[in-house]
Amino acid sequence: MRQLWTIVGFDLRQRLRDKSILIFGIAVPLALMGVLNLLLGGFDESPELEPVTVAASVPADDPLAPTIVDVLTGLDVMDVTVKDMPADEVDDYVADGDAAVGITVDDGFAQTVSTGRQARVEIIEGDSSGLEADVVISVVQGTVDQLTAGVVATVAGSAEGLSPDELATVGRTAATPSDHIALIEGQASNEQLSTKGTLVAGQTGLFLLFTVGFGVLALLAEREQGTMARLQSMPMRRSTVVLAKSLTGFLLGVFATSFLLTVGSLLFGVDFGDVLAVAVLIVTAVAAATSLTFIVARVARTAEQANVMQSIVAVVLGMAGGAFFPIPATGLAATIIDVNPIAAFIRGLGITSGGGDLADLGTPLSIMVGFAVVCLLVSRVIPDRAATT
Amino acid sequence: MSAKTISNTRLDHPAAGAYVLEVQSLVRRFGDLTAVDDVSFRIAAGETYGLLGPNGAGKTTTISMVAGLISPDAGSVVVAGQTMDPKKVEVKGNIGLVPQDLAIYPDLTARENLRYFGRLQRIGRDALDRRIDEVLDLIGLSDRAGDLTKEYSGGMKRRLNIGIGLLHQPSLLILDEPTVGVDPQSRNAILESVEALSVEGMAVLYTTHYMEEAERLCDRIGIIDEGRIQAEGSRDHLVRLTGGVDHIRLSGSGDIEAAAQALRALPEIEQVDADRRMLMLTVHDAPTAVARVVTTATEAGVSLSDVEITRPDLESVFLHLTGKALRD
Repeated sequence: MRQLWTIVGFDLRQRLRDKSILIFGIAVPLALMGVLNLLLGGFDESPELEPVTVAASVPADDPLAPTIVDVLTGLDVMDVTVKDMPADEVDDYVADGDAAVGITVDDGFAQTVSTGRQARVEIIEGDSSGLEADVVISVVQGTVDQLTAGVVATVAGSAEGLSPDELATVGRTAATPSDHIALIEGQASNEQLSTKGTLVAGQTGLFLLFTVGFGVLALLAEREQGTMARLQSMPMRRSTVVLAKSLTGFLLGVFATSFLLTVGSLLFGVDFGDVLAVAVLIVTAVAAATSLTFIVARVARTAEQANVMQSIVAVVLGMAGGAFFPIPATGLAATIIDVNPIAAFIRGLGITSGGGDLADLGTPLSIMVGFAVVCLLVSRVIPDRAATT
Repeated sequence: MSAKTISNTRLDHPAAGAYVLEVQSLVRRFGDLTAVDDVSFRIAAGETYGLLGPNGAGKTTTISMVAGLISPDAGSVVVAGQTMDPKKVEVKGNIGLVPQDLAIYPDLTARENLRYFGRLQRIGRDALDRRIDEVLDLIGLSDRAGDLTKEYSGGMKRRLNIGIGLLHQPSLLILDEPTVGVDPQSRNAILESVEALSVEGMAVLYTTHYMEEAERLCDRIGIIDEGRIQAEGSRDHLVRLTGGVDHIRLSGSGDIEAAAQALRALPEIEQVDADRRMLMLTVHDAPTAVARVVTTATEAGVSLSDVEITRPDLESVFLHLTGKALRD
C-alpha cells in the first residue's frame, strides 16, 4: 500500500512538474469554454423579442373579428403594430417586407362561427420573419380557438333554452382561458441544462477523458523509457504499478473536473445545484472515464498510440454526448448515445441543475457505473499488446 | 550449426546450500521459438557468474525469469532459498536488477532517482538517506547528485543505473549488458565497481557479449547460444574443455631441424612443426614453457629473430563450440 502511494505521489508531482495537467486539464478546456461561449452567445435561452408589424384586413362591423387584432396589440411580451388595410393589399405589404405577418379575416366571421361552420382566417408569414412572427401566429390561432369555443357554447345553450343572462355567462366562460390551472414558474428536474450549462458540463466531460489519460500515458512511458522492468522487479505486486497509474489518472480527473465545474459555473453564471449530488456525479464519471483507459492501455503499444486513441475516443464520446451541442436522435442511435458516460454526466448535471438531488440520479449513475464495469471486463479479456512488444 | 553441448562442469564448487541463486532446467517459449531451453546454473555468495553469448542468445530472457519479470514455462529459480514467482513479493527484495536499457528518470536528479526506488524497496527514511550517500560515493556521482540525469553523460547514466540496483544491498545483483554504448573510461569505472561487489560478498549475475569483460570479471562463465548453455566453468576450464592449447612460434635462422629435434624431446611440448625459417610449437602452458623453449632452440644452433605466443580465448572457445564467431 505504501508503495502504491509512493508511485501515485511521484506521478502527481511529475504531472505538476511538467505542467501537463495544468495545460491540458485546466487551461485548454477553460479557454475552449470561453471561445464557445462567445460563439454560441446568440443562442441565449431568454432572447428579447423585437417589435413587429402586422398587416391586417378585418371586417370592422363584425362583432368578433376585431378581437383577433385587439389581442395582438395588448401583448406584454412584445410590441405589435397593426396596420389596417384592404384584403387585396395585405399580401403585397408582407411580400415587400413592411410587415412580418399578414392577417385576413373573411366577412361574416361571427356568423360563420355561430353556425358551427369553419370560419376562414388567412395568415401570411413574411420571408424574413423570425421568432416574433411565430408568436403572432400562435396568438392568433389561440384567439380564434377561444372565440370559436365561446360562440359554440352559447349557441348550444340557446338550443337548450337558457335565459339571456345564462347564455352570456356560458359564452364568457367558454371564451375565457381557464383559471383553474395556475401556471407557476419554478424549477423541476427536467434534465435540460441551459446553453451555458451544457457548454461548461460538456467541455468538462470531454476533457475529463483526456485528463484521466495521463495515467495510461505514464504507464506506457514507463515501458518506453525502460523503467517498467525495474518497477516490476521491486518487492511489490505487479498490479501495484497499474493500479497506481490508474489512481493517478482518477485523482487528476476528480481534481480537474471539480475545478472546471466550479470555475465554469462562476465564470458563466451556471448553478449545477446540490453539491453532494454533483460530487457523486463527478466521482462516477471519472471512474467511468478511467475504466476506458484500461482498454487503451491494453490495445496501445506506445504512448504515442495511446495518445491518438485517447484523443479519438474523447472527441467521439464527447461530441456524441453533447459536449458541443445536443445530438437529436431516436431509436437505436438514441440508445447508443444514452449509454455514453459523457451524455450521462451532462444529463445528471441537468437533473441537479434543475433541482434534482441524489435520489433523482439513478439513471445517469447506473449508466456510468455500467460503462465502467463493461470496460473493466473487456480490458481483462483483450490481450496486452504493449507487454508483448 | 556445429555446436556441441558440454555438460555443466564447475571448478571450485561452493558447499551445497551456499548458493545465492539456483537455476534449474529453465525453459521459456515465445510461440514457436524456444528462447531459453533447459538452462541450469548456480551462483554462490561473492561469486561473479557471466552469461556470455551473442545478441539473441537468450541471456535477457534468462535473467528476466531470474528477476521475476516473466514466468518460465518449465524449471525453477531459487534466490536465497526462496523460489522465485512473479507474484511473490518478498523474494524480489533479494534481487537488484540493472536492466540493459537505462531505467532512470531523466527529469529527476540522481539523488531523487535513488530516493524514489529506495522507497519502493521499502528502505526506511533515515537508512535510505545514508545508503544513498554510500551508493553515490560508490558510483562516483556524489558531486553531481543534484543534477538532472538528462544532463549526464552516457557513462554517468550507466553508473546510476547500477547504483539503483545496489541501493537495497541485495543478495544477488543482476547486470544485463551494463556497458553497452559506454565510452572506454566509464566502462572501466563500471567494471571496477562490479569487481568491488564480489569482494563485498554479493553474488553477481553478469550478462555480456564482450569476451574481455567476461574474462576480467567472472569467476565462472556460462557460454549461451540459441537458448542453451553450451559450456560452463572458469576461463581456463573452458579453454581446456575445448582441447585448447597454446602455440609458440619461433622465427630465426640456423639449424632449424636440429632445434626441432631438441624441442620434441621436451615433456611440455606436444607437437613441433618446422619449415625453413620458422618453428611452430604446440604446448599446454606457453608462458611457463617459453623460457625453456628459447634456451633449447638457441643451444641447438638457431639464431632467433622473433618469439610469439598465441593462447586461445573465449572467442575461440565460442567459435569451437558453436561454429560461429561471438559477435555474429
